[in-house]
Amino acid sequence: MNPLVAVVLIGVVMVVSVYLVAVIDTAVETRVSGGRGYARAWLAPISRAARLALQRRTVTERPDAEAWVLGPALLGGLAAVALTSIPFAPGVDVADIPAGIVLFGAALLQVMVAVVLHGWGANSVFPLLGAFRMAAVGLSMGIPFSLVLITTAIPAESLSVGAIIASQEGVWNVLRQPIGLPVYLITALGFSFWGPLQLPDGADLAGGTSAEISGTALLVWRIARASILVSLAAMGAAAFLGGYLGPWLPGWLWMIVKTMGLAALMIWSGHRIARARMESVVLLGWTVLLPVALVDVFVSGALTL
Amino acid sequence: MGVREALAGLARWSPVPVFPIVGGGARDLVRDLRLRPEVELVATPRHATLLLVAGRFPSGAIPGLAVVHDQIPVPRATVRWNGEVSDEISSARLVGGDEEDLIATLVALHREMMADPSRSGPPILPDVDAVEWRGVGPYGHGGKGMTGGTPYGRPLAERAGDRDGIELDQLPVTIGPWVGALPWGLELAVKLQGDLVQEVEVGPRLSTDPPTDVFSMATRKPMTVAVLELERARHHLRWLADALSIQGLSALGLRALRLGKILTPHHQREVRRLLAMVRRSGIFGLALNRAGGEVTGSQAKGLGPVARAGGVDDDARRDEPAYRELGFQTILHQKGDAAARWRQRMAEVTQSLDLSDRAGDRTAFGAGLVEGPRGRITANGPSPSVVVLDLLPQLLSGLEWGDAVSLVWSLDIDPTESVETHVDNRGAS
Repeated sequence: MNPLVAVVLIGVVMVVSVYLVAVIDTAVETRVSGGRGYARAWLAPISRAARLALQRRTVTERPDAEAWVLGPALLGGLAAVALTSIPFAPGVDVADIPAGIVLFGAALLQVMVAVVLHGWGANSVFPLLGAFRMAAVGLSMGIPFSLVLITTAIPAESLSVGAIIASQEGVWNVLRQPIGLPVYLITALGFSFWGPLQLPDGADLAGGTSAEISGTALLVWRIARASILVSLAAMGAAAFLGGYLGPWLPGWLWMIVKTMGLAALMIWSGHRIARARMESVVLLGWTVLLPVALVDVFVSGALTL
Repeated sequence: MGVREALAGLARWSPVPVFPIVGGGARDLVRDLRLRPEVELVATPRHATLLLVAGRFPSGAIPGLAVVHDQIPVPRATVRWNGEVSDEISSARLVGGDEEDLIATLVALHREMMADPSRSGPPILPDVDAVEWRGVGPYGHGGKGMTGGTPYGRPLAERAGDRDGIELDQLPVTIGPWVGALPWGLELAVKLQGDLVQEVEVGPRLSTDPPTDVFSMATRKPMTVAVLELERARHHLRWLADALSIQGLSALGLRALRLGKILTPHHQREVRRLLAMVRRSGIFGLALNRAGGEVTGSQAKGLGPVARAGGVDDDARRDEPAYRELGFQTILHQKGDAAARWRQRMAEVTQSLDLSDRAGDRTAFGAGLVEGPRGRITANGPSPSVVVLDLLPQLLSGLEWGDAVSLVWSLDIDPTESVETHVDNRGAS
């Protein structure tokens, strides 16, 4: 794909999907809180973004300025890189490379680095604790996340995301590997630090790694975080739900429906499931998700043989 | 129209991000602002446009006011609600009246700030180091290798043994009194090793005038049981709203707050539905499963739900004829930890609604002793919050920060609770 077209495509996908994530988040919040006025869900993300764009950035006492700026930029960049490996419709992809799923996994594992840099850079206690937490979550969730993702390549006999989607023509991976999607979604919550795994930016840290940022820095951070959520949802749709495959509707529409469906599920979890304790998350990762992910690999491998 | 004007036009429709500094007598009023779509209460001044100062403060001084003010990004402004303008922020907009007046002022001021940032409040503190350089090394370290000392007045990490006996850096920090993670007004001086709380000291108390709620009134004259119990249920729902928000369930917290505002004895079904949603959120399995903080035995006496959650059968309502006629029985839990206190208050909400529904015109108390929602209130002795604040250092030491925060909220502390509203430790069984 022409590089300029690729940049525009990824940019449009990120802007539109981040906006939809914000709309869904506000609508779910309104629903759970028993409030009214769903109409504001459409305007609120835009007016909030405009307000943040007008606010001046603040600085803390002696921050690590480079790390502080690099964190959000890296997070957004990683989301963009991750999206490049995913075909949005038959023949519509930026870089459906032979090892696309490895590229995606590698990009998402670097989220930990971006969040730790962001938390470290502020030179303040709550962001620093948020950075510690992201390191612990990332290390605990990284292996099961990679395992269940790579397992979807077994039936396809290819690491290309396009080939993985094509291999689900008859039956989706969510049916062939039923434990893969739940493990993927839980670990995806960890890497997007959303919902019950919103530990680095939790309310008990008054916003954690984002507690000391304001204005455009906060706007960029929120957009980057939502972009990561979208890229994880898109890969979930591609790897487990057949991507753009489906009857009646055009492929790109199926991809949007499945991606936003998974994103909505993760957003919903943020309003209905309590934030887990740090220790429980680490235990969950190492003692439950890792063995389950290994079972997923062995069973899928055996079935393929 | 330029880009700036276009953005300002859109930003005026944004909910107004407000960081509150809340003194005595204003907690419930400010908390209720969360129900207003025009306003968004934020957890850190960095995310705010407006600083709201509400309530009473001891001797008129507001600790940390200047620091909080200067952390709010430009454009910013300050509103003082039902009080006097502090000398520190002479530019603050003074607002009297009710919630509607306040909302109108906040929205108008926010739009002013968005349209014309030059009207933003100037910084209060000079942009210089808080304390002169005191380090000896090139990076401001204090003279013990790479650690120790107080360059720029900030104590650096010292080595200290952790819970496993390993020598690790211990970072001394002061958290509060105005931060969204803790109850308004609570200041903790904490020594952290990673996210592990090693030592805690509670900062200055912000006790103000005696409260004027129905429970305080009931120390002086008999009050109807229906009113007292309805207010108790309301109080616990407000607590639930705060505690849920800290656990990442702010939408569910809003639901609790909304229900508390309109609560009548006929809302039992809605309350049960809310409590079922709370249980289904996994709060007890995910967030409070090992939060710790057991308060049991003699240290719990007089602390109302905190005592009863620890199995201490301590409730002044048992001795009141009106409650005996209603067949009142104390609800008890045994473990006395953070989860037990959640379960206790959730059970007492439905119990109070039931009592309120059946109470008729019965009256109770009025002889100087009342069972308040936080514990026993009398004319002598420290208030329930004051007693709990004294327990905090012992309870929090050794916990991870997240568990420490869960524990603090499970205790339902109001740091502004007056020392003149007191808990009675003598009558407890």
